Amino acid sequence: MSELKTTSLYEFHLSKNSKMIDFAGWSMPFSYEGTLKEHNYVRESSGYFDVSHMGRLRLNYSQIEEINYLICSELKDIDNTKALYSIFTSESGTAIDDVIFWKFEDDLILICNASNTTKIKNHLDANSINYDDLTNDTDLIAVQGKDSIAIIEEMMSIPNKFSTSRDSKFTYARTGYTGEDGVEVMLDKKDTLDFVQQLESKGVKPCGLGSRDTLRLEASLPLYGFELTDDISPVEAGLKWTLTNKSEYMGKEAIDNQLNSKDHKYLKRFSLNAKQIARTGTTCKSGDSIGIVTSGNISPILGKPIGFALFETNPSDNLVEFDIRGNLIEGNLLDKRFLS
Amino acid sequence: MPETKYLETHEWYILDGESFTVGISDYAQGELGDIVFVTLPEVGQEFSKGDPIVEVEATKTVAEAYAPMNCVITEVNSNLETEPELINNDPVGDGWMVKAEIKEMDDSGMTYQQYESFIS
Repeated sequence: MSELKTTSLYEFHLSKNSKMIDFAGWSMPFSYEGTLKEHNYVRESSGYFDVSHMGRLRLNYSQIEEINYLICSELKDIDNTKALYSIFTSESGTAIDDVIFWKFEDDLILICNASNTTKIKNHLDANSINYDDLTNDTDLIAVQGKDSIAIIEEMMSIPNKFSTSRDSKFTYARTGYTGEDGVEVMLDKKDTLDFVQQLESKGVKPCGLGSRDTLRLEASLPLYGFELTDDISPVEAGLKWTLTNKSEYMGKEAIDNQLNSKDHKYLKRFSLNAKQIARTGTTCKSGDSIGIVTSGNISPILGKPIGFALFETNPSDNLVEFDIRGNLIEGNLLDKRFLS
Repeated sequence: MPETKYLETHEWYILDGESFTVGISDYAQGELGDIVFVTLPEVGQEFSKGDPIVEVEATKTVAEAYAPMNCVITEVNSNLETEPELINNDPVGDGWMVKAEIKEMDDSGMTYQQYESFIS
């Protein structure tokens, strides 16, 4: 087995007694003080995450037409200061990866899932898109939480929501994956330790991937490998809002067919009034529709188990029954997001 | 005073005459992450050694605590219903799970020292 990759903060994480986990070939902090505490730091004040394992590629602005062809969202016609969440789709309309683009005047920064960095690079190569891989020379720190903007504005000028900015030290955007306001900051490895120490001196708490997962789930955000895979399209994952591409794009025909026929799988949010968590792989049934849980955990804010389940057909009922270790537990499918 | 003993399945128990108290080890709670729900048995329920008696749902995973010997439940720690985090904060103290009457004595658990080398 090849050795795990580490970020430049690895020793720093260990010095803070972080529990480390292997994630997509990286040794990353799972938690420092506990997942629920870290979850609440972000919901109630501010936390930061080392997400340097995520792939970071610089793309040439001159190839924006070609890049636009590979994703389901409109990238070329949005302002040059925008951040865009989108999905690389295959010919069959399924998700190759969900990513963030940071758009600038001269270039674009593409941030992809750590587990998909190689796949995305191969996909770009196959489509003659040039890129400069910045993953090994930079770090990525997400500062998230309701107090995060007030704190970070002492360190950088704050762009509008879903917008990008850049100064001599930081390339960043007002984005995140927790459901809270905040920024994601790419910076040179040599500056990272100083940056997070400054954050900590201002009261921003370190948070691990455990709370990142409970936060994104509670915020109804999909995670690649669970809600989105090589077998699941954006339509099936309930991400129709990402289908903004006004031009021809890879997989458009398959996606349009799904939109018209409505004959596809359906990802649904659920909650349980029980003390059992319906975890990944749990089977469930709603009316005649069979499903499988893609992610499940507690919602710390709601105080009950929540999750996503993927159904073979569109469930006609909002009652759902989960088979949790042989016990049938009833839950509800939800049309609205977990958090209002 | 009887010694706290440990099982390979990461429970601890402590004998008290004809009864014992059981919970999960500090190592186990650390591996589980934040405990969010605990499903306790009913007083009077009978269990054989190795039967699951308590179900613990945590942010990372789910786990069960098993009966260290044949027993009948005499008391459950109902504080865990509202404060499951007691198991994280004080696993071998306030985070105890159940007390039970011994039906068939089996004091074959490991000493703390043996358990420490078992988990290391």
